[in-house]
Parts: sequence; structure tokens; C-alpha cells
Amino acid sequence: MILINKDTKVIVQGATGKMGSAHTKRMIAYGTKVVGGVTPGKGGTKIEGIPVFDTVKEAFQATGATTSVIFVPPFLALDAGSEALDAGAELIVLITEGIPPQDAAKLVAQVKAKGAKLIGPNCPGVITPGECLIGILPGSIFKSGPVGMVSRSGTLTYEIALALTESGLGQSTCVGVGGDPIKGMGYEEALSLFKDDAKTEVIVLIGEIGGTAEEEAAAYIKANVKKPVVAYIAGQTAPPGKRMGHAGAIISGGKGTAQSKIEAFEKAGIKVAKTPSEVAKFVAEATKQVARA
Amino acid sequence: MNLYEWEAKKIFQEHGIPVPPSHRITKPEELRKVHLGYPLTLKVQVQSGGRGKAGGIQFAQDLKDGETKAKDLLKMVINGSKTESLLIEPRLKIAREIYLSVTLDRSRGCAIFIASAEGGIEIESSTNVVTMPIPYPYHDYVGRDLAKQIGLTGNLLNKFADLANRLYKLFESKDLELAEINPLIVTDGDEVLALDGKITICDDALGRHKCFAGWQETHMLDLSDREKRSKRAGLNLVELDGNIGILCNGAGLTMATMDLVKAFGGQPGNFLDAGGGSDTEKTLEALEIVHDNPKCDVILVNILGGITACDEVAQALVAFMKRHPERKLIVRLRGNNQDVAEKMLAESGLKLYPELEAAVKQAVEQSKVPAGAKR
Repeated sequence: MILINKDTKVIVQGATGKMGSAHTKRMIAYGTKVVGGVTPGKGGTKIEGIPVFDTVKEAFQATGATTSVIFVPPFLALDAGSEALDAGAELIVLITEGIPPQDAAKLVAQVKAKGAKLIGPNCPGVITPGECLIGILPGSIFKSGPVGMVSRSGTLTYEIALALTESGLGQSTCVGVGGDPIKGMGYEEALSLFKDDAKTEVIVLIGEIGGTAEEEAAAYIKANVKKPVVAYIAGQTAPPGKRMGHAGAIISGGKGTAQSKIEAFEKAGIKVAKTPSEVAKFVAEATKQVARA
Repeated sequence: MNLYEWEAKKIFQEHGIPVPPSHRITKPEELRKVHLGYPLTLKVQVQSGGRGKAGGIQFAQDLKDGETKAKDLLKMVINGSKTESLLIEPRLKIAREIYLSVTLDRSRGCAIFIASAEGGIEIESSTNVVTMPIPYPYHDYVGRDLAKQIGLTGNLLNKFADLANRLYKLFESKDLELAEINPLIVTDGDEVLALDGKITICDDALGRHKCFAGWQETHMLDLSDREKRSKRAGLNLVELDGNIGILCNGAGLTMATMDLVKAFGGQPGNFLDAGGGSDTEKTLEALEIVHDNPKCDVILVNILGGITACDEVAQALVAFMKRHPERKLIVRLRGNNQDVAEKMLAESGLKLYPELEAAVKQAVEQSKVPAGAKR
């Protein structure tokens, strides 16, 4: 497992909002150690039985947490992320969708300068099944096991996790890095953690059209990752020039096509599944090979 | 949101980036009121690239010549984009052309300058281009560094650096995705001017720039009526050519569903991503938008509830079926509150498909049955 485990303490920024409170409840129900919430002006109150603080600094000092999950509105996200970083956050999971990309870029610059980790924005979060869920993923479809997953999509991750779980293939950790063009953790950073993780035997990489992150990941895997990787690319039939839901999912100037990504993976010797159920099939074959080796 | 050249230049001017004197007209006879001297440049204002190649820029020797050309230019349609107006500028004597733009780089995760000592070019196909990551926080020396890197010297180095700094500050303060000057010209009188400009404003940031309030309605020109309707409802719709209407939650899942439809021999009629957490009302509007496509023969709904509650979706489906009992509907629904949803839909007689591939196969099969056949 990577990034989070049963001992990870989390605070929730925006815990008293509609989204924040609903998911605070669900994270606690899953077993995540949610130790505090942050809403300026509501310090001293409680939500779902946990204390609410006015500032992240107070929340971190009082609870010993160094991980924050952010559920604030888009225009407040840069400030919320900066506050968490300056308070000493080591891991920030930024769920909010619709953050102006320049704000995301400013946050990414600070994250890099501080050597912290940022997952998101516009992401479903991260889960180490059976131990810790941070974000909005539906915990019930995940199961503990040997498959590490990294993905730009939320619901597609659930689809593929469901296919894996129903085939008896559990997951070590699933990271949804988000669908925005400017984001914190990308494939490479997640892969670099999975490749050294003892529990992860097979890695699933879920990509989509737009940008060149998958092509870069293919080169990184070829050079650095010895574990088997199974890839899936969404948007093989997407028309060029149209933004397919995610801000980052667009084929522009002939770049970012599914074809180019699939070719890059195949050239690097990585199996590319054509359907979500085929991902499970390829992973099952790969785990058998790992077991034999 | 893409701006017209004349709008971009107005904003350039407000930020201290010099542009040629100009006048905008929407009727040929308005040319009589233009006192910029001849020869003049007449440029169609369209939201499409390839304007020059399509003949959208003409020169006029005198008023008569100008009026004749303006009449034709105002009727021009370039790549489906209608001419909004004409921008009239004096024809300038150009000593040198330079390219300059600021945009965001996905791979690096930061803003970048793109510049070239050759302007008026297609930047994608040019080789003599400098790409420079922009540090945050910004400093004015960055503009000088850029000028140096593209080989400028002397007075021009300083003038260019100043413009680059102003362009970046404009880019940052107005939340732009792209600010481009192509070409930036040096006239024979050593004036440095933005001869053509392009500004793309980030849609996600529009809400915090009151100066652009209401602009989106007048700038969504490349969208169909249903695409506009979706945008207003907070849904992501892309029109496609086939007859299977697709409604899912989440961009990746919608694309994957679309790919599966095609892989099983069907033709997607649209891509509609209802996003996360859509409630009954939003889901119902999404269904209506897909339903309203005249080419649509069958609707395929694939919802995997993370933050979307299945019972809210089920309520929308029940309401939709009451309104349109004749519509063929294939539904796959899993996730939060799935059991409640299943019960509601069983009562209304709708069969649910728990497996995605089975649902897609059924939708493809139904799309090949002649219209009018029962669901």
C-alpha cells in the first residue's frame, strides 16, 4: 500500500459544508481516522462527533495529523491548500472540481517547493481498502489485495475496481489523480511509489485522451518499473477538438489521441485492455505470472 | 471562452500593450465614418483559425474599393463560424515580426512563455521557438530573459521585455488560458505593436471576473443549442453522429461507455457526462436533452454512484418514463442506495442491467430495431 494506511490521521477542510459533512460521515463509517474538521468561524463546535477548528494549524497541532482533505468551493481552494501547506501538511487531497487552472498551478508550485504531496484537484481521492479512505470513492466496491491503481477518472476507476473485485482481485491502494490539466501527483509519482511497495504486485493505469501524461508514463514504466502494468485508455472514439467532460480530456492539434497513448504503451511492452472487464482479465493473468515467478 | 480579435486588442490596450489604431464596423457604409487614411486593412472577426488563408483579410486602396470588399467580407463564414464584424486598421509598413504568447503547460504544471523571433507563423509547425517556464511568484527580469533567449538586443530587447511582462500580468489577472500576440510587429518607424491578438479566458474562472459577466452567452458560438442548454444546466454534452444517446456520470466512464458502444457495433449519438452528485432535477434535464436529439433511437444510461445517489437517478427515470413512455431506455445503475433505486424501478417496470457490457450490448441491439418498436 502507498500514501495512506490504518494509522493515517486526516483533517477535513470544509467539513461543515454539504459535500464535506456528507463525506466526513462516510469516511468515518469506512474506518478512516478523521480527527478534525476545519471551518473558519466554527472552531469549538463538533461535526459527526469530531472537533472543528478555525485554522488548519490548530487542527494539526491538536490532533497530530499531517494529512488534509479539501472540500471547499473552487475559488477558495488555492487559499485552503496554501493554509494546509504552511501548517505543515505532508499530503493534501483536493477533491474540489472547477478550480481555475492558474490557481492549481500556484498551489503545485508551493507543493513542489515544500516537498509535500498533492492529489488532485478534481479527483475522487485515494483508498487503501480495509484501512483508510480519503475522498469520495464508494468504499464498498474496493477490496484489499495486490493490485495498485492510478487513474485520471473517478467513476471509471470505480467501474474497473468493481470488475477487479468481482474477479477476486483486491487492491493495495487506488489513487485517483484527477481529470484536470494542471494537477499535483501524476502517473510517474504514483508509479514510483507502487514500484517499491511490497504489497503491490500488479499495477493498473487508467488513462484518457488529452495531454501526453500517458506517453510519459509509458516511457517511465519501461525504464523503471519491473512489475507488470495493465493500461486502459478511455476516449478511443472521442472526436478531436471537443472537451470530453474533464477539463483535461481534449484532443488538440492532433495531440492527446487514444491511439498515440495505446501505441506508446504497446511499444513499452505494456498490455492495453480494450474494455474494463478485459483489465480484470489481464490483471488475473499477470498475478498468475507473478505467483509463478 | 475565446474572444474576438477586437475584444482582445481592447484588453491589450487596457493593459498597456500598444495596438494599431482601429475602427470596428458591422455594415459596409460605416466605412465612410472611418478616418484612418488609406490603404486600409479589413479583417473579418470570426471565432475560427485560418482566417488569412480563407481570404478573411483584405486591403482597400480607397473608400469604393473598401465598401465592395467589406460587403463580401461581412458575409464570410470560416469553418462554420460567421463573421461578427470587421476590424479596420491602417495598412502598416512592417519591418519585423515576432511571436509571443503565454499559456499553461500541462506537463510542467505551470505557465509558460512561447516566443519566436519570427512572427506571423503557425507556432506548432515552426522550429525557431523558445519555450520558457514562468516562475511563481513572477518577476520582471523574466521578460528580459525571454527577450535575450530569442536573440533580441538593444532597445528592442527592453521594449519586448516590457510587453512580455505586461502580457503575463494580463494573463494572470484575468485568468486566461491563452494570451497570444501573433504577430507582434516592429513598424518602419520603430513602433512595437500587437498586430493580431488572441485571448482565451478560462471558463472555470469566469465567475470571479465581473467584467466578463454575460459574455459566455454571446461567445458560445461553436456550440449547438442542446450543447448550450447542457452548459447552462451544468452538464457536459458533446454531439455525435450516431443514434444511441449516452448518459453517464463522470467523464472517464462516459468515454469508456461510448467506446464500448462503438466496439459492440453501435453508434453513439452523444456524449453526456452528468458529473458527480447529480440530483433528480439535473438527471431529468440530462435525460430530456438526450431525448431531444432527433437522431436518437435509444438512450443508454450508465450510472455508477459514488457521490451520485442511485435513488435520485431512479426518481428522474420514473418521471422521464411517465413523460415519454415510448422512448427505448436501457439502464445500468449501481452504487449508493442501489437497493432503493432497484425497488422503485421494478415497480415502474424498467429492467435494470447490473453489468455494463450486457447493458451496452442490449442498447446496440435496440438501436438496430426499427423505430416504433416497443421497449
